[in-house]
Formats: sequence, structure tokens, C-alpha cells
Amino acid sequence: MKITTLFVASLLAASVSGCKLVKTSNGEAGVAADPIAEVVETTFDAKLVPALTEKAVDLATLQNAINGSLDKAGESYGVRVGGAGGGWNFPVKGSATVIEENRASKAAVAEIDIDGDGKADATLQLGPVVKGSALRDTAGLYDFSTFRDQIEYAKLGRALNDKAVSKLPAADTALKGKKVNFVGAVVIRTASEKPLIMPVSIEAAP
Amino acid sequence: MKLTKRLLMSVVALGIAGAMSGTALAADTIAIITPSHSNPFFKAEADGAAAKAKELGYATMVLVHDDDANKQNELFDSAIAAGVKAIILDNAGADASVAAVQKAKDKGIPSFLIDREITTAGVAVSQIVSNNYQGAQLGAEEFVKLMGEKGNYAELIGKESDTNAGIRSQGYHDVIDQYSEMKLVAKQTANWSQTEAYTVMESMLQAHPDIKGVISGNDTMAMGAYAALEAAGRKDVIVVGFDGSNDVRDSIKKGGIKATVLQPAYQQAQNAVEQADKFIKTGKTGLDEKQLMDCILINADNAAKLETFALAK
Repeated sequence: MKITTLFVASLLAASVSGCKLVKTSNGEAGVAADPIAEVVETTFDAKLVPALTEKAVDLATLQNAINGSLDKAGESYGVRVGGAGGGWNFPVKGSATVIEENRASKAAVAEIDIDGDGKADATLQLGPVVKGSALRDTAGLYDFSTFRDQIEYAKLGRALNDKAVSKLPAADTALKGKKVNFVGAVVIRTASEKPLIMPVSIEAAP
Repeated sequence: MKLTKRLLMSVVALGIAGAMSGTALAADTIAIITPSHSNPFFKAEADGAAAKAKELGYATMVLVHDDDANKQNELFDSAIAAGVKAIILDNAGADASVAAVQKAKDKGIPSFLIDREITTAGVAVSQIVSNNYQGAQLGAEEFVKLMGEKGNYAELIGKESDTNAGIRSQGYHDVIDQYSEMKLVAKQTANWSQTEAYTVMESMLQAHPDIKGVISGNDTMAMGAYAALEAAGRKDVIVVGFDGSNDVRDSIKKGGIKATVLQPAYQQAQNAVEQADKFIKTGKTGLDEKQLMDCILINADNAAKLETFALAK
């Protein structure tokens, strides 16, 4: 009886100390107040914006390539994300005229004309509500394998979007009619869709 | 008692393995372990994996853990004892499954996870999961549109031990909560179960007869909820599911359930077997451990193209 108890106790002790090892590493990660916020702080300006700026393809060039073949355009300028149901992610830049601006919706957008025909060729998301995770997925900086689960990875996508929105022109800056230069990321699933771009910067020409 | 049960389990498992490998004795075996096939989603996974394994020349050992981590542990023991070359797993709990996968790894048997994640990286070789957050946002956008951006609605949530239950709910709310006139009046788990969802929906209807919509964490719960609504003469309530099952497809075509989100379950299972095959032959997959596959919105416009968790081109 005694022996059994001892045996059980030592087993317990062993499993507890085994547990502790894991707990400690969890604890260290937990020291940073919000690990996702920290990832955003340390990478957004230092890595993400430079990576997108450096790799960005001009939107007009990209559109021409997509009109030829989306897959060929993707192989030349983009990365494939999300398997068959997913699309090609592209880093993009361009200069264009804002021909329409909708700030009424929480998912505010600016419609832009890149070829000067007066028709909208693409949409810039202005937030605060932003669709997709193009910023997270396009530059190849953030590996899903290093995150605990999809919830954490989704939080990162949202936090990067929020950070980008905070750097875009605020609602009191009217963009309509202005010429703008932008850099951002976009997911294209079909060759015929109008690109919905998530910008990291929009600069209005004076 | 436990021991008897365990022995019985492995006898059953070996029986399956023996029967399956009867035609090709020399063939290597891949174990395919999923939740119960009573949910067609898991059946499609198991079928997809088994078809690909057969195509690549493997025998298969198909097992179900019924979302019981202890049973899953016993199945792993059986698979290890049977000397399988790889395990394809849709697991029985994000935390609870780590030990079983680790145990197989320690015996030199690689695991390839589909559908559900585990919370520790570096234990499984691959974790291929649907982009549940992206899919939930698609479903929520459609739900909000169908609701006319306003009204009282209820939410059915999946099994708490499954990361997918939480991520889908979060994806739903990250969209729906932006609309101030959308009011969540009831939120409850039905553990992915059709029968449980029926009961939960019945009581939700009693408490909130003014309900206008129900957003569900999966299709089986959506089916249960819709059946309860139908029985109560409330076919006007908008129901949106998640998975892309043939049952919900048929309901959409008849104007019942309004929309769902397709997870490419069949393809996902096939990808996992391809990666297992590559790993068995070369020692690596050449891919990241964790891989996301995007989901596709299914509504009346494209429901006809859906068959067994795959969308025809």
C-alpha cells in the first residue's frame, strides 16, 4: 500500500516537473504584454513596408499581365496563398486618380483610375473595416507554423490591417479628384475581378 | 476493464488492417483517423484520403475516434502496433491530441493533420487546415446581406475543445459586430451535433420568437436548427452554415438553408496523403508544417456545382 502510494507520488512528481518545463516556456512568451502587437510593432515599418515597396509591381503592368493569364502573372509577380480556393497575392504600387470616395461605410474605399479613362480600375481599402489578410500573406514574412493556432494568426492579419489603416489619410482628408501614389497588397482570385487593394501608404500629390 | 477494452480495440483495428491489406500483403499501410463518419464531412475526408492512398499503392487502416481523446490514444496504439508508415489525422482536441501525435513521432511514425490543428508545432509533419477565419468572414458577409444588415439573430457554436469552433465564431463576429443593428440574442454550443442543434434551436425559439436569423458553426448544426425551425413553422428564419455538405446543398437548392461555406475537405485529405507519401519516400515534404486552404461561399448561385465537398469548375 505504502509502496504504491510512493510510486504514484513519484510518478506525479515526475509528470509535474515535466509539465513545469512546458509551463516555463509558455510563461516567457506571456511576459510580452501582447505578442501579436509586438510582432506588428517590430515588423510593420521595419520589414513589411520595405518588403512590399521593394517587390511591388506597377498596377498597370500587373493588369496587363493578368489580362494575358492570371497564373502567368502570378508566377512572375505574386505568391500563391490558400490552395485551390485561394488566389494569387501581389505586392502592388501605382499612381492613379481617385474618382470616387465612399466614407459612409465602415469599410470605406476609394475607387481609382489608373489609365485616365475616367472608369474605376481598382479599389483602395481605407478602413476601419478591411477585408482579407493580404498584408499578412503577401510578403512571406509571417509563417503560420510559428503561431499557436489560426486564432492567433487571424489576429495578426487583423492587427496588420489596423496598423495600416492608422497610417492612411483620415476621413477628414478628401481624396476625391486627387492624384495619389500608393503601395499595398492585393489578392486576385479571378482574372476578371476588380482588384481590392489594401494599401500601406497613400500619398496625395499636392 | 480498461485493458480489455484496449485489447479489443486493437484486435478490431488489426482486423481492419488485415482485411484491407489482404489483397496486397506487401503494401505499406497508412492509418486514417477521423471523427465519426456520421458527419458527411469526416466521411468525405476519410474517403478522399483512402482513395489517394490506394492510388499511390498503400493499404489503409480507417478508424474513427468519435471525438474522444482517450479512444484516439488507443487507436494510435493500434496503428503504431500495426506498423503503419504514416497517420492521417483529424484530431479529437487541440491540446489533448498532442501527446498521441508525439507518441507516434517517437516511434518514427509521422502524422499529417487535416481540418483541425493541434496547439504544439513541430510534432506533426504537416497540419493542413481550412482558412476558417477567411471562410467565416465570407459566411458572415452573406448572412449580414441576407438579413438586410439588421435584426435579431442567434449563433450556434461548435465543440469548445476544437480550435475551429472559436475561430469561426471570431470570424463571424469580426464582420457582424460592425453592423450596430444586428443583435445577437442567443449564443450556445451544440457540439457540432445535428440532434443537439435541434433541441437548442427549439429552446432558443421559445425564448426568442422574434429571431430573424441563425448563423451556425457547421452544417450539421445548421441542418438540426433548420429542422427545428421548419417543425415550428418558421421557415422564414435565415440559416447559414459552414462546411459545404451535400445535405445543405440540397436544402439551399430547395430554398431552405440560405448559404454555407465550402471547406475543400476532399482535396485537403488528398493533399495530406500526397505529403505523407513524399515524406515516406524522401524524408521531407518541402512545405511548411502549417498550411491554410481558403474556403468558398456557397449559395443558390453555385450550389448545383457542389458535390462531396468539392466544387466543379
